[in-house]
Amino acid sequence: MNDRVVITGLGLICAIGDNADECFDNALKGTVGIREVKSVEHSQCYTHIGAENNNFVTPEGEDRASSLCVKAAEEAVSDSDIDISADPERVSVIVGSCVGGAVSIEKFYRDYVADPEKASGADVLKMPISAIANNVALRFGAQGVVDNIANACAAGTMSIAIAADLIRSGKADVVLAGGSDPMSSLAYSGFHALHALDNEPCRPFNKSKGIALGEGAGILVVEAYEHAKARGAKIYCEVLGSGVSSDAHHITAPHPDGEGMQAAMERSIANSGISASDVDYINAHGTGTPLNDSSELGAMLRVFGNEGKVSCSTTKSMIGHCLGAAGSVEAVMCVKAIERGIVPPTAGYTDEDVAAMREKAGDFDFVPNKGKQRKVEYVQSNNYAFGGNNASIIYAKEGAPRKLAEATDEKIYITGLGIVSPLGNTAEAYAESVNSGAKAHECETCGDFTSVVDRADFDAVGMKLNFYRKLDKLSQMTCVSGKRALANAGIIVDENNAKKIGIVAGTSDGPQTDIGNFQKGIIASGTQSGSAFLFPNTVYNAAPGYLSITAGVKGYNVTCSNGAASGIAAAAFATRVLRTTQNDVILAIGADEDSETVHMLYEKTGAVGAGLKLGDGAVTLALERASSANARGAKKYAEVLGSGFAHCPVEFGKYGCADKLKEAIRLALEKSGVKAEDITTVMTCSNGLKSLETVEKEALTDFAKAKKVNVKEACGEGRAASSALAVAHAALMLSGDINDDAGEYVLAVSASAGGSYNAIVLKKA
Amino acid sequence: MDAKQREIADKIKNILVENLRLPAEDLTDDAKLFGDDIGLDSVDSLEIIAGIDQEFGVSMMGVDREHFQTIETLSAYVMNHLEK
Repeated sequence: MNDRVVITGLGLICAIGDNADECFDNALKGTVGIREVKSVEHSQCYTHIGAENNNFVTPEGEDRASSLCVKAAEEAVSDSDIDISADPERVSVIVGSCVGGAVSIEKFYRDYVADPEKASGADVLKMPISAIANNVALRFGAQGVVDNIANACAAGTMSIAIAADLIRSGKADVVLAGGSDPMSSLAYSGFHALHALDNEPCRPFNKSKGIALGEGAGILVVEAYEHAKARGAKIYCEVLGSGVSSDAHHITAPHPDGEGMQAAMERSIANSGISASDVDYINAHGTGTPLNDSSELGAMLRVFGNEGKVSCSTTKSMIGHCLGAAGSVEAVMCVKAIERGIVPPTAGYTDEDVAAMREKAGDFDFVPNKGKQRKVEYVQSNNYAFGGNNASIIYAKEGAPRKLAEATDEKIYITGLGIVSPLGNTAEAYAESVNSGAKAHECETCGDFTSVVDRADFDAVGMKLNFYRKLDKLSQMTCVSGKRALANAGIIVDENNAKKIGIVAGTSDGPQTDIGNFQKGIIASGTQSGSAFLFPNTVYNAAPGYLSITAGVKGYNVTCSNGAASGIAAAAFATRVLRTTQNDVILAIGADEDSETVHMLYEKTGAVGAGLKLGDGAVTLALERASSANARGAKKYAEVLGSGFAHCPVEFGKYGCADKLKEAIRLALEKSGVKAEDITTVMTCSNGLKSLETVEKEALTDFAKAKKVNVKEACGEGRAASSALAVAHAALMLSGDINDDAGEYVLAVSASAGGSYNAIVLKKA
Repeated sequence: MDAKQREIADKIKNILVENLRLPAEDLTDDAKLFGDDIGLDSVDSLEIIAGIDQEFGVSMMGVDREHFQTIETLSAYVMNHLEK
C-alpha cells in the first residue's frame, strides 16, 4: 500500500507574490498585501480593501479562476520536474474552489442584462467550478481522476487530503492538488452584505472586525513516496492524516463553542498517529471575523493548551482570505516552513495587542509580525467553511515518526435511498411510478422534466418554515432526499451516531439559480447592495451544509463537482471515505436543479438545441459499512463493489473519447473482480446528444447481452441527480423493489462534459 | 395605525415576502419576527436593514433590537425617521 505520500512541487500566486518563494519570503517579513481593490467596483461600499494580485492579467478568452490555477500548476510541475506525459493515466487533478468562474459569471450577466441575445454560451462554460480542474488537466494532459472540491473556504485543504487518499488507495501516483479563487464582485458583495469585511487590514485573533478578501491559487504536487524516490524527486515533506467534520449548526456562522473545529483538529492528529504535543506549528484558519476567531481560539486552546509550545499564525493577515484557495495557499506556507525551519507570522500586532492577547490566551504564541526560526517537524493546517464544514491536515518532515490510521476492506452496502425526482419524492414513490409506467412531471413553460418539492415534503421530513424558506431549490431537494434516505435506512440520528454519519455530495452546476439572482441584484443596485439572504446559497456546499444542519449529522462533509457524472463520483468517493475514516454511514448525494436560469444557460451552450432534455432532482444513497449495517440488521439494497474513473483531456463542455469510457469500465470491473460477461444490466448515460450516444455505443460493445436501462429517458438529464439516480434505480432493481430483474451484477456508467467518465459496479446483496 | 404608517407597513411586508421568501399570510402586523412566530435570524435582519434603506432611505444599522420586533414597530421607526 502506498502509505507514504509526499509533496514534491509547489506553485503559488497571491497578493504578496507571483511564486512560492517570493510569497514565503514576503510572508516572513510580515508584508501585508491588503490594498485598495482594483477589479471590483466598491465606491459605495463601507470598505474598499482586499488582497489582489494585480500583476496577473487574465489571458484573453480565459476565466480568471482557471488561469490563476494553471499558472500555479505550471510552477508546481516545473518545480517537481515531473514528466506528466510519461504516465498520464496515473496523474490526477483535484482543485478546490468557492466561487469558481465568478468573474465570467459577472461578465455573462452584465451582457445578459444589457441584451439577452448578447450573452455568450462560451462564457457559460467558464462559469461552473467543474471547469477548473478540467482546464488544468487539459493543460498538462493528465488522464487520472479529475475533480473539483467545492467546500467554499475549506476546499483547498480538503483537496490535498483527498489527493493523499487517492494515492493511498492506489488510484493515482501523482496528484496536482490545491485550489483557486479570483477576486470577484460576487464574493466582495456577499461578504459585504454579511458585514463580514473589515475596513482595515484584518488582524485575526486580535482586534479584527472581519476578513480581507483575497485571491490566488496554490497547487502542490502530491506524490506517492515510492514514485518520488524512483524518479529521484526532491521531497519537501510528507502528508500525514486529515480530519473533516461538520458543525451541523448554522449555514454561515461557526458553532460558538468550536466543537466541530476541535473534532477536525483532533481527527487529523489521531489519523496521523501523533499527539497534539508533537505539533510545532499551526497555520490557523484565522479569518479575522470575531465569530470565527473566538470559536477557533477556544478550540485550539483546548487541543493544544496555552503554554506556548506550539506556534500559531494566520497568513490571511497578509494574503487575505482566498476562500477555496485558502487551504492550498496556506499549505504552501506550511511546506515552506518545514523546508526552511522558520514559521510565517501573523501581521498587524502592536506591543499593546500582544499584551492584550496574553490576557486572553496566556503564552499561546501567535508569532507576531515577523517569521520565527524554530523546530518545524509537524505542522497542522486548518480551514473552516460556510455550511459548518471543517478540515484539518498534518504535514511532516520526511521520515518523521507517524502511524496512519489503517484502511479497512469491509464490504459497503446501500442501506437507504432518498429520491427526489420528476417521478416522485421518495424511493417508494419512485419505484411505484416506474412499476406502473407513470409519466414524469414536466414543467409547463420549458418542457423539461422537473422535480417539485413543497410544504408536504418539508412537513414529512420535519423541516420548519424558518429553515426551508431560506433554501434554494437545490438545497430543498437535497435536504428532503437526504432526510428521506436516513429514514428509509431506519437510521435515527442521535448523540451516539451523529459524528459517524457523513455526507459526500456531487453536483454538476451547483446553485446556478441563486448565483444568477445574486449577481443580477448587484448589477442592478451595486456591489454595496448584495443580498445577505441569497449569498449563503451561492456556495456549492450550501445544500449539503443545510442537510447536515437539519439532519444533525456531524461526520465527514465534502462536495465534489465535475459535471453530470458527479453523482456516481460521489458514491465512489463515499466508499473510499467509509474505508479510511471513522464514518459508518455516508450519504452519497447527486443533485442538480432546473429553473428558468438553468434552462437558459443550457440553451446558451447549444445543448438544448442539440437535443438535450433537462431534468433535475436530488438522489441520496445511504452507504454503510457492513459491520454497522449488520449490527443494526439493516435492509441491504445492494453491495457496492469497485469503481473506475478515466479522463480524456478535451475542451471543457465537450465529451471525450470512447476509449476512456472503456478504461473507466475496465478499472471498475478489475477493482470489483468481475468480468464483462458477468454484468447482467448496464445503467447507461446517453442524454439525447449525438456526441455522447456515439461514445457510449462504442464503449459498450462488450455488453451486448446485458439489459440496458437509462433513467434519463423518463426523467431527463438531471446531471448529478441522474447519475446518482442510475445507481439508486439499479439498487431498487437488485432488491426487487422495481419489478425488472437486474440479474446479479449491474454496471452504471456516466459521462461529464469535459472528458471525465465514471463507472461503478453493484452486486445483489 | 394611520394611513401613512399603513402604507409603510405594507411596503415592509413586501420586502419580507420578496427578499426573505416569507409567506404573506403569516405576516400579520404584530407577528413576532424574531420570536417563535416567524423565526428570523441575524442574516435576515441585515436583509431587512438593506431593504428599508433602499426603499425609504432610512438607516437602521445599529438601531435597538426593540424596533425590529414586528412589522408594526419597524413601520413606526421608519415613519419617525423619514425625511420630512
